[in-house]
Amino acid sequence: MAELAYRDAVAAAIAQEMERDENVVILGEDIAEAGGVFKTTVGLLDKFGAKRVRNTPIAEQAILGAAMGAAMTGLRPIAEIMFSDFLAVCWDIVVNEIAKARYLTDGQFTMPLVIRTANGGGSRFGSQHSQSVENWAMAVPGLKVVAPSTPADVKGLLAAAIRDPDPVIFFEQKSLYATKGEVPDGELVDELGKAKVLRKGDDVTIVALAAMVPRAMAAAKRLQKEDGVSATVVDVRSLVPLDTQTIFKEVQHTGRLVTVEENPRLCGWGAEISSIVAEELFYDLDGPIIRITSPHCPIPSADDLEDAYLPNAERIVETIRREVD
Amino acid sequence: MDVIMPQLGETVAEGTVTVWHKKVGDTVKADELLFEVGTDKVETEIPALVTGIITEILVAEGETVDVGVKLAVIDDGKEAAPPTEAATKDIIMPQLGETVADGTVTIWHKKAGDEVAADELLFEVGTDKVETEIPSPIAGTLKEILVAEGETVDVGVTLAVLALKDGATAPKAAAAAPAAAPKATPAPKKSKPATAKQSHAAPISPVVARLLAEHSLSISDITGTGRDGRVKRKDVLAHIGGAGSAVGGDTEVVPFTYTRKLTAEHMVRSKATSPHVLQAVEVDFLGVEIARRSMKDSWKAEHGFSLTYLPFIANAVCEAIADFPRINASVVGEALHIHKKINLAIAVDLGEEGLVVPVIRDANELSVADLATAINDVAAKARDGKLSGDDFTGATYTLSNNGSTGTFITAPIISQPQVAILSTDGVSKKPVVIEGDNGDEIVIRPVGVLAQSFDHRAIDGAYSGVFLGRVRQILEETDWAAELS
Repeated sequence: MAELAYRDAVAAAIAQEMERDENVVILGEDIAEAGGVFKTTVGLLDKFGAKRVRNTPIAEQAILGAAMGAAMTGLRPIAEIMFSDFLAVCWDIVVNEIAKARYLTDGQFTMPLVIRTANGGGSRFGSQHSQSVENWAMAVPGLKVVAPSTPADVKGLLAAAIRDPDPVIFFEQKSLYATKGEVPDGELVDELGKAKVLRKGDDVTIVALAAMVPRAMAAAKRLQKEDGVSATVVDVRSLVPLDTQTIFKEVQHTGRLVTVEENPRLCGWGAEISSIVAEELFYDLDGPIIRITSPHCPIPSADDLEDAYLPNAERIVETIRREVD
Repeated sequence: MDVIMPQLGETVAEGTVTVWHKKVGDTVKADELLFEVGTDKVETEIPALVTGIITEILVAEGETVDVGVKLAVIDDGKEAAPPTEAATKDIIMPQLGETVADGTVTIWHKKAGDEVAADELLFEVGTDKVETEIPSPIAGTLKEILVAEGETVDVGVTLAVLALKDGATAPKAAAAAPAAAPKATPAPKKSKPATAKQSHAAPISPVVARLLAEHSLSISDITGTGRDGRVKRKDVLAHIGGAGSAVGGDTEVVPFTYTRKLTAEHMVRSKATSPHVLQAVEVDFLGVEIARRSMKDSWKAEHGFSLTYLPFIANAVCEAIADFPRINASVVGEALHIHKKINLAIAVDLGEEGLVVPVIRDANELSVADLATAINDVAAKARDGKLSGDDFTGATYTLSNNGSTGTFITAPIISQPQVAILSTDGVSKKPVVIEGDNGDEIVIRPVGVLAQSFDHRAIDGAYSGVFLGRVRQILEETDWAAELS
């Protein structure tokens, strides 16, 4: 076991897979000499050389177009889109080409590529560099969508994403890059589509993703201490494929579901999970499903407003106190 | 038949008739070009929907009207449906669960000619899963009953016809299913005076509604501990478990785990599905015991776990199945599906967590040593919670190993849709009469019982019995030491 920062776990996963498979290459803006604007690719250029670690122009369409061509012709590219907000620039390639290639060609072409991107708010980047857009990706058939909350999950899930035969959008949460955690030594490969139960409780099941996971854990501890409410916390980790069985099992146990998500309220992933649970487990529910989300407005630039915009432990505690009786 | 201005796109609210290809008095055929419409986006040709004579054109060329406005009338020989026809409603057999295909009308609460109010109890339906009361979807007079009490019909079959009250229009055709879900059979409404406790009208959650229905309880029987006295799930569970007292008492309430619930459901279903017959043979395990003993220490040192009787039994079962393929099968409808592969399921006890039954695929292709390793692997994975969904699918025959608890015989329950399951019980030293050189002799032998439950729909006692005899013969006569070396 070694302690790694979330950002270092990204580089560790990429290095692990580049060592294993010479077809794995990485491209993006400032990822080579600079080691990435978030320092997630430090050391890769020295280790694997300029042929496999490529800087690109500031042109997201070119990055993903090149990655797509590389994937179709036998490589396993990892493309970095510096901020997830910029996915909008290349959404045509993602949605109409990358997500559909396997289907349109009847499997003659597969798309074994990973789009890594820094996602989410709380880091003072303003409304065009702070959005949490995992729900956009979740809405597109043909994409897998992963968003880890710990360094160990970053390493294991990124390795699994690289080995996956289909396109995976890998959302790294900006506000978590500096957080540290234990990462097992040696080769680490996790499984896509498995949620993790981080805490077992009896009164309410909190389902969270990425930066909302540590906040949900903090809220659960406070609820236990201050209110005697015992909460289960599930880290979804992967929106597509979605581990509904784990969610069902935990919701059946407590009879209550609260989802905590960073993306704006309308059509957030919490709405999808709420809907599935309402359909499948209606007669196990002991009260309404509650969604805690960001409000449906652009993320504000002012520090105070940005903090107020994002769900935090305080809001989770208060909502559960008010709604779960 | 009215011809109306069609909707030519999500955002288009009106259209202009640019050309009429027919005039009043013309005959038009279905799909024949009738007129053209221009919008700000497109010019579109519109065919006639029916064959008939144009009796009226109401909107002239060049006029712009809203979507839905009547443009012309075609006499297609059919009068507008007479109101009497629209004013009846078919009552159909409702779908009472995903997997339920038919239902039996058990009671009609109304007879032909009776008036019935909306939501008033109309009839009751029984399925293999539930008995459900069905209210009338609408007020009217019961005109005709088409399916009598006791008859079983498919979902969707018309059971009766309801004549609607004057002025009422029939709801859309498919709306005959009851609002009630099968699990939450609404209790007949009784005009009980509202108690003070209920006056807050604290909401009843779905799970509470279900538990009340399942246990025939009333909300007023239970003391709620939620906000405004709301009855929560745990209040109902405490009431059920604690026989009326929400807290304390001599009874501890332990809610079922997920695995426990699945096991409970499966066991009840299996017993209800398959007529179980138990047969058992006594096996002399001397040959197995000699082989086990001869390599007891070396095996443990090499593999890290002890060599038990189970892999030998698994091996013998696979070999015997080759001669008795109908043991390795499933009942599907009214046919026996005989499996060519032998995927052996091994029951693994997880203590309070419950019981899981992982599968060893193609077990007949494995040697005793391979089986020993495979069994140990799946058991270890099961205890570490590392089995995946795939580890539980595709089993064709199951071994339930009760021997370690020292039981003499166990009557196992079949794991559906398999047709047989074998319990391996305790092996202990017993006096056995054998034929020696000097006639009958009493010797001490390790003896254990193998007990098989089989599905009498699939096979009969003779087949099962001879199969068990074959398993015994293999276990007693094989040179296991040679097999292992």
